[in-house]
Amino acid sequence: MKVQVKAFARFREALGSDPVVELPEGSAMTALLAALRDRAGGEEGLMFDEAGALRTHVVLMQNGIRVKRDDLDTLVLADGDEVAIFPPVAGG
Amino acid sequence: MISITRDVIDTGAMIEAAKRPGMGALVTFCGVVRDDGGVERMELEAYEDVAVRELEAIRDTAMRDYAIESVDIVHRVGSLLVGETILLVIVGAGHRKEAFAASEYIIDRLKQTVPIWKKEFYREGERWVQGEAPGR
Repeated sequence: MKVQVKAFARFREALGSDPVVELPEGSAMTALLAALRDRAGGEEGLMFDEAGALRTHVVLMQNGIRVKRDDLDTLVLADGDEVAIFPPVAGG
Repeated sequence: MISITRDVIDTGAMIEAAKRPGMGALVTFCGVVRDDGGVERMELEAYEDVAVRELEAIRDTAMRDYAIESVDIVHRVGSLLVGETILLVIVGAGHRKEAFAASEYIIDRLKQTVPIWKKEFYREGERWVQGEAPGR
């Protein structure tokens, strides 16, 4: 299945604009995060700590809805989902 | 009007368009690109669908919680030079006090929740503006 990733600001610079990630059917959010970690290459430290966990300031959204940290392990993705990943916002 | 735009914001035209007969006060907040230690320009990007939805939610909350008649918010994205308008908030009300209070609420919440980012460009080098850490 394919998941559309939307990355913004410095995360976009690390991951590329709007990458589409291929995952096995029924993959969880954690599988997508592992793929993004690989994709970020030397820049994964922006988003993940030394243990590979998502840094606390990183925001994730699935189809425009904020993903809670407690749901990361159990959240299952579907084909065509849009997952956004971004740092703290700085508009205005 | 709520919008994210790549076009120059015409502040005067927007204020005129916001006026209604019952309004005695229009409070305007105008955010501008500042030359902060040699900044020449800024690039702004937005998660547009979600940003518009959040701006609409901010407007709806302000309309519910303050005695005001209108809220307009326009936020620029793209490349902006020093002095250009980044953000325009116009709050129309019968009287000024509620309009000032609503304006402050709107800009404070916008800075914390609307997915927009900006990068400053200096003669030598560039820097992402640090955001305020979001609530969890």
